[in-house]
Amino acid sequence: MIRHIILWILIIGFVISILPHTLEACPACKNLNEPIARGFNWSVLFMMSMPFTVFGIIGGSVFYYYRRAHNKLKT
Amino acid sequence: MMVQTDFQMTENRPLSNAKLAVLILLGSETMLFSGLIGAFLVFRMGSVAWPPLSLAEIQLPRLVTGINTILLVISGYTMFQALRSIQLDRVKLFQNLLILTGALGLVFLIIQGWEWIQLIEKGLTLQSGVYGAIFYVLIGCHAVHVLGAVIWLTIVIGMAISGRFSSDSHIGVETCTIYWIYVVALWPILYFLVYFA
Repeated sequence: MIRHIILWILIIGFVISILPHTLEACPACKNLNEPIARGFNWSVLFMMSMPFTVFGIIGGSVFYYYRRAHNKLKT
Repeated sequence: MMVQTDFQMTENRPLSNAKLAVLILLGSETMLFSGLIGAFLVFRMGSVAWPPLSLAEIQLPRLVTGINTILLVISGYTMFQALRSIQLDRVKLFQNLLILTGALGLVFLIIQGWEWIQLIEKGLTLQSGVYGAIFYVLIGCHAVHVLGAVIWLTIVIGMAISGRFSSDSHIGVETCTIYWIYVVALWPILYFLVYFA
């Protein structure tokens, strides 16, 4: 049991030690003061948000239609 | 006892297959447009001068396009009212509103085509660097979608005139309305982004 705990602590410690301290949306954009780098950064952030928006809207619509039908059946 | 066909049974589900298919189609369209908007953001924010100095004398027709935007937004309203009309079985009003919506969509395309001719004559073409390229690709992609929506609406108008829709069965109108309103809602975002950013 103690062996397992020590092993997991070592694994987690190793993973934390190799994690970078800061993350940027665009790793290729070294200097964010340059206009093109800011452009890439905002573009990547914008496009990253779209799958969540799309799945949220489709999932929300499915939920709404089924909830409305369920409420109609109840009344 | 009334026997329902497979199609009617599908239509009576909380979310019909047709509506789900349109939602998925719109999801993929959103990804397409977000890619194009992402490219626009890179070019716009990456440029010190926008439009570039070589094209500084070319002004995008903001006023005419603004009026065109209002026409398209009105078409979204008339399309929504057309759907409401068929839900209330007001068939004549429904047909008239569909025709009005189609006409507004066509007027939008004609004005946009006229604008493009003016811009090309002034020297703004696809070859005018990233400014011209992203303008024509982004606005053109939306125009193709409006054209697709007009063609779809023409088919729906034909079906409406031949009496294929009623308050109980109008899934074709609903799907067309969802698509039309999507295309209408997308335009003001593109308009402010491309013409004012």
